Amino acid sequence: MFRRGDTLDAGPSARRAQRSRVVTQRWALVDDRLVDVVGVLFSQNIKIRYRGSVLGIVWSALNPLVMATVYSAVFGRTFAPYYGGSVVLYGCTVFIGLSLVGFFVASTSECSTILVQNGGLINKVRVPLEAFPLATIAAHAFQLIAGALPIVVVISLVVNHDPLRVLLLVIPLAALLMLTAGVGILVSAAGVFFRDVPHLYELATFLLWVTSPVFYPVAIVPHPLVHVLIFNPLFVILRSALDIVIAPVLPAPWLPMLGFAEGALALAVGIAAFAAMRPRFMDHL
Amino acid sequence: MISLRNVTLERRTREEFDDDLKSRALSLFTGRDRRPRRKRVLDDVSLEIEDGAKVGLIGPNGAGKSTILKVISSVLTPTSGTVDVRGRVAPLLELGAGFNPELSVVDNVALYGVLLGLDRRTIDARLEAILHFAELEEYRRYPVRALSSGMTARLGFAIATDADADILLVDEALAVGDESFRAKSRARIDALWHAHRTVVIVSHDLALVRATCERAVWIDRGRIMASGPPGEVVDNYVRSVDQAATLALARARNGAGR
Repeated sequence: MFRRGDTLDAGPSARRAQRSRVVTQRWALVDDRLVDVVGVLFSQNIKIRYRGSVLGIVWSALNPLVMATVYSAVFGRTFAPYYGGSVVLYGCTVFIGLSLVGFFVASTSECSTILVQNGGLINKVRVPLEAFPLATIAAHAFQLIAGALPIVVVISLVVNHDPLRVLLLVIPLAALLMLTAGVGILVSAAGVFFRDVPHLYELATFLLWVTSPVFYPVAIVPHPLVHVLIFNPLFVILRSALDIVIAPVLPAPWLPMLGFAEGALALAVGIAAFAAMRPRFMDHL
Repeated sequence: MISLRNVTLERRTREEFDDDLKSRALSLFTGRDRRPRRKRVLDDVSLEIEDGAKVGLIGPNGAGKSTILKVISSVLTPTSGTVDVRGRVAPLLELGAGFNPELSVVDNVALYGVLLGLDRRTIDARLEAILHFAELEEYRRYPVRALSSGMTARLGFAIATDADADILLVDEALAVGDESFRAKSRARIDALWHAHRTVVIVSHDLALVRATCERAVWIDRGRIMASGPPGEVVDNYVRSVDQAATLALARARNGAGR
């Protein structure tokens, strides 16, 4: 009666189990349900953000628009000489910078708490965990593409009258998406182990933000420092995006390519780190 | 079919508060970093559950009953031992766990359904039936936070039991809703039963286990103490609890007498 390891219904089922293969429950790199779960979390995210109104998308573009206006008002006259004397062009630069860097900062910051927030659920159902950061990033990316990107395209066409440049913009955009996805899943995993990651990450994003040429021209950065800034992938990506949209001559291809490579590297590192930490998640959630 | 063989699960205890990077770095620096202590939550558990069986897990709090459910639903991976689960598992989440309070009832059905492993088309096809069973047709556009807790529980029950899973895991969540709904949910559990679905229930409601389960498994400190006909196992469990209580009482009296 009190035997340890007593089994239920030993008999036919036990015999069947012996014949059966042993199912090891290891976490696969891509769960078969990943697409479905990301899809439902994504639409949930969008619905909560917009509450069924189009105003949400307008708002997501309005925020950098207002900020760009403020920056133009404060720094416009000082920095205009770097933009062919045009305050408007400076404002456009700031808008692009705010949109792209803002996308990165907002989505990765949200990722740093996303798994802990959903800890209750994760403890109940088997769900591909990377779906949570990926859905968050997808929702922010949707906002970026539906809200700010059309304005960036218009800026590009007005400044350069060259549709080819709009096409080229795909490269830094893809680099940004990969970078954000990589950093996002990495930070989401780190947030599981250390509850102060969101605070520390805030500091990190501030550094990334200041070292990206969002509201100042790259030309004012002292020369040796530029070589350091190149290690900030956001700097590389943003600069190549700005060159493509605004610069009178097309930039050398190495900068967008470097950004792309950095994005791909970040994505690979993020996926590998997440997979490595995944087995120990549940002890902390 | 569920088969756990010699499943042992060790988890990190949460008693230490080094869950932040700053203090962890500091403790590394000062050489006071310790390896986290691990606790054996499940100890060599072997359990075979036939297709269609209805099994109740009983035992004191912290014995590892819910942990066994988590191992079955592969939320937790055992430290050693093998787990073989055939068929789709639907855990019946406790109140609200799978819901987003800001979303409408309909959106939450989709969310919860996908989390339970259904695809979108199946969920859309079953939506009306789920709302009908939960008696929430008029509330479909309401955000879930506007529902009463009983309504939320009804919704969760309706989705989980409509998920057409092969194995239903229930963690103390059967007493759902008002009297009329309770009768309905009992009827549905019975239907699942007759449909040859496997049901594993964790419950402190010993009468329920005795009345509805075919087998009871008594778990204590991560081990299976007994398994067998529910009447017998429940009686033994109750007797041991009573004995322990009497012993403790006697000890307390002796202590007071001295």
